[in-house]
Amino acid sequence: MGIVIFAIVVVAALFAVCSGVWVATALVRAISRHRTTKAACRQQSGKTNNQDT
Amino acid sequence: MPTVLSFFVIAAYVVVLTFVAVRARAARRFSDFSLAGRALPLALVFGSLAATYVGPGFSIGFVGRGFKSGFLFLGIGLAYSVQNILVGLLIAPRLRALKDCHTLGDAIGQKYDRNCQIVAGIISVSVCTFFAAVMAHAGGVVINDIFGLPNWSSVIVVVGITALYTTFGGLRASVITDAFQFTTFAVLLPLTLLWVLIFHLDGGAATFARQAATATAGGLDSTPFIEIVGLVAAFLLGETLIPPYANRALASKTTRISRNGFMLAGVFSIVWFVVMISLGVAARSILPAGTDEDRVLLNLVGSLTHGGGYALLLVVLVSVVMSSLDSLLNAGAVAFTEDIVKPFAKLPDEKALNVGRGATIIIAAIAAAVAPAVPSVIVGLLICYTIWASAILPSLIIGLLVKRPRPLAGILSMGVGTFVAMSAIVFLFIFRSIIKAPAIIIPALGVALLAYALGHWLGRSKSGV
Repeated sequence: MGIVIFAIVVVAALFAVCSGVWVATALVRAISRHRTTKAACRQQSGKTNNQDT
Repeated sequence: MPTVLSFFVIAAYVVVLTFVAVRARAARRFSDFSLAGRALPLALVFGSLAATYVGPGFSIGFVGRGFKSGFLFLGIGLAYSVQNILVGLLIAPRLRALKDCHTLGDAIGQKYDRNCQIVAGIISVSVCTFFAAVMAHAGGVVINDIFGLPNWSSVIVVVGITALYTTFGGLRASVITDAFQFTTFAVLLPLTLLWVLIFHLDGGAATFARQAATATAGGLDSTPFIEIVGLVAAFLLGETLIPPYANRALASKTTRISRNGFMLAGVFSIVWFVVMISLGVAARSILPAGTDEDRVLLNLVGSLTHGGGYALLLVVLVSVVMSSLDSLLNAGAVAFTEDIVKPFAKLPDEKALNVGRGATIIIAAIAAAVAPAVPSVIVGLLICYTIWASAILPSLIIGLLVKRPRPLAGILSMGVGTFVAMSAIVFLFIFRSIIKAPAIIIPALGVALLAYALGHWLGRSKSGV
């Protein structure tokens, strides 16, 4: 019985750590996607300016 | 005492948090500030929800309860998990499906009428401000404990930093920083548990099981049945769809993400309670029996590590507090703009954004001013739970489930619910010995439901239906 409780606790701890890693991955994706979008917008507006000139 | 290493760890945390907050960028429109453009993916909705509900109560509080009463509080905490899963299944998708809806007040306004929206807005702003004061109080205690700063300056440090990024970034900054803070504590605290279990628990699994059985039996003996019922009711209803959770339901990319985000957060809460309570149970073999409940986590880590480890714990605890505080500041500011100002004045987008930012600063200032007067984290949370559950839940849930709810029922339920909850809290302070704090939520909610039924019946006779 003791082993079962211990195993459940260890699995719960590992599950929580995995959730943290999953959210961290999404966070990195969210903030780097923003940079990509911003860079693309800047590039786009630069192109338009060149065409205007 | 803080060491060079602990200062280094804390400075590194502040630098990374600032980087993340800056990358979240400033909100340029009110819809960014209030709903993050309604584009949040599942992982961020889940992480932000979990970061918001894991406050000092669900971390320090649960470790202390595990130390004192073993797995008894896992059973009580399950009510909270069930609530999250039910909200995910029944309420969140309906809320997300409403068009042009920024707040709970908006939802109530669409289902009832403008007056109901204003009343719901006033209740939302008040509850968010008091919740924020409770979080500020907890953050102040943590900073004060480590650095020995005066209480008021500890509160100002925590509230000031949180208000800064929430004011400029709005909900998106709140969600992005929540994700970072969630990662910090969801990785570090479970790893602390594994480290304690593997390296510091003499007797291993058998000792742990014996301690768990003894503590749980002791907890069951010393907790009256009515208190258990009251706690289950408070966990089941007290935090149901409080404004920050509702904002995350509304800001999800799709109704499906809204539903799954709440359900995952509910499942995660079970896992989280197991981890926190197990830390408390493991601490029974390491700390003296008379250790103060609120100090179990701090003393456990303090007794096993020096300098850097303790600083890491501080980082975790500050994350726990700030992730709840930023969500409350943003939710209060959005409710103020959308439910209290907008019904009276037509606001262009830029002005609404400025009103929202101004409201964030004012709510933060009030929370910081009230924080030193908060009696304790648990009592503060129970006051908020009681007011929220009885004032808003009947109108909100029935309004979302029923086809044509009546405005009179909404107004009566919110008014009577608030009045009864406030009176019950005043009674609680006067007759502390005879009324069990968590139990007052049940009669207060019952009266609010009766008021709703009366309003519905009167409204029907008035309209002749």
